[in-house]
Amino acid sequence: MSASAASPIRFERVEKRYGRHEVLAGVSLDLAPRMRLGLIGPAASGKSVMCKLACGLEAPDRGRIEVLGTDITGKREHELGALRRRIGMLFQNYALFDFLTVEQNVAFPLEQRGGPSGDKLTAAQIAERVAERLRAVGLAGSERKLTAELSGGMKKRVGIARATVIDAELVIYDEPSAGLDPVTTQKIYDLLAADQARTGAAVLAVSSDVVALAQFVDEIAFLYRGHIIYRGPAATIADAPDPIVRQFVRGELTGPMDDLPPQREGA
Amino acid sequence: MKAWISSVGASAIAYASAAGDLWRVYVGTIAGIVRSFSREHRRNRPRGELARQLHNVGNRSLVFIVVTLGFIGMVMTYQGCLQLGRVTGDYSQVGQQFLRLLVSDFGPTLTALMLATRVGAGIAAEIGSMKVTEQIDALRMSGVLPIDYLIVPRFLACLVMTLLLTVVGGTVMYVAGGLTAHYSFGVNLNTFYDISQVRPRHLVMMVVKAVSYGAAIPVVAGFCGLRARGSSEGVGWATTAAVIGSSFAVIVLDFIISAGALFLTGGDL
Repeated sequence: MSASAASPIRFERVEKRYGRHEVLAGVSLDLAPRMRLGLIGPAASGKSVMCKLACGLEAPDRGRIEVLGTDITGKREHELGALRRRIGMLFQNYALFDFLTVEQNVAFPLEQRGGPSGDKLTAAQIAERVAERLRAVGLAGSERKLTAELSGGMKKRVGIARATVIDAELVIYDEPSAGLDPVTTQKIYDLLAADQARTGAAVLAVSSDVVALAQFVDEIAFLYRGHIIYRGPAATIADAPDPIVRQFVRGELTGPMDDLPPQREGA
Repeated sequence: MKAWISSVGASAIAYASAAGDLWRVYVGTIAGIVRSFSREHRRNRPRGELARQLHNVGNRSLVFIVVTLGFIGMVMTYQGCLQLGRVTGDYSQVGQQFLRLLVSDFGPTLTALMLATRVGAGIAAEIGSMKVTEQIDALRMSGVLPIDYLIVPRFLACLVMTLLLTVVGGTVMYVAGGLTAHYSFGVNLNTFYDISQVRPRHLVMMVVKAVSYGAAIPVVAGFCGLRARGSSEGVGWATTAAVIGSSFAVIVLDFIISAGALFLTGGDL
């Protein structure tokens, strides 16, 4: 499927707070079609919140969000169904349905949303698509397993299969490599890259593993204290002109980030 | 003083907001039932979910309800006979008045209170754990309305099963009460099991109460589950809130329906 000509994601001065804690303080972000953008930042800086805002799972307090050419600001739940049909999402904690088997989890979006144009698929079409996705993520043979029987890496791969089963125009990966060993991490990113090359989807990937992420995405944006303070090519992120970004990427203990206030609860 | 006032104000706003959310869940559930008749939404319905929920709410609660209501029936009759014996010594009205009370109030209310603890806690824990593990968000990303998918089948199951369990539980309560009166106080079984005092309005009241309770429990419990935050501690809070909230709803509805019935019948209940 070809990516939409409109900007897949556009945040305009988006603000979001939980109680007294301001998570996003006027964030603006643009994602070009077919682009792979990485989003990094300290823990609890609002990266996952941005992912959820982009899907309409959370609503901004202020600002405007446009996704795949549709302004989703202020839209109600039932108005977002058609748009979500075009978005794939990998959740940070997998969010697999624990009452379903592996193949039922992957088939779920197809059963509920139908094909890319919303048309209902036959059981045979769904089964074929699910089998193809499970083969792609290396989980052929695990179709009948319950998610409780899977390891963390396997769960992550089921999540990826579910996020990509609909050939979405926009795919959001929230921590695709969290908790995985380096080899599995590399396999996961190879898989994501191959999938993106096949579909041409725009990708927003959030990760704390900057080194692995930098090999997958075209550009990286750095979220810090509610603002995107840096955006640049992924290949040169370690030499970014901003000293905060450099300190974060290099994992240095001393530097301008020393003056970070303690994170408040609920961030 | 200023801090105290602002704290009271914040609590009032939070309660008003929660009440608004609860109302939206209720309206969403009714809308979900209406939507479920449309072809487009029928495919969103999990296969066999209603039957599964009927089994969960009804069959799995049966022994608990029967045993609990049986014991309550025995205790109530025993206490009633004991007090009557001290005052008049005439047990001829015990069975008839017990049945009137049982049909119009104790049967549905005690059944619902038991269901509020067993079913309400289960619904809140199930939906709450799905909320904190982002499964609810995953449902939404699949174009599924969580209320339609999770609360509507439980709502329908509770409506049906609260009524059926009220009939079964009430019958057991009545039989157990009669046997207690007979073996402990020598009350004649034919005298006790005289149903002539029960009027159609009592049966109507039983049905109205059972259905109202059956509607309240899954909505309150589902609402608590959907508000779960954080991790397992949040699920624990949601479960506790569901038991308290649905029990409270049963008591308040009991009062409102009883008062309404008294008003409509001019006090002739």
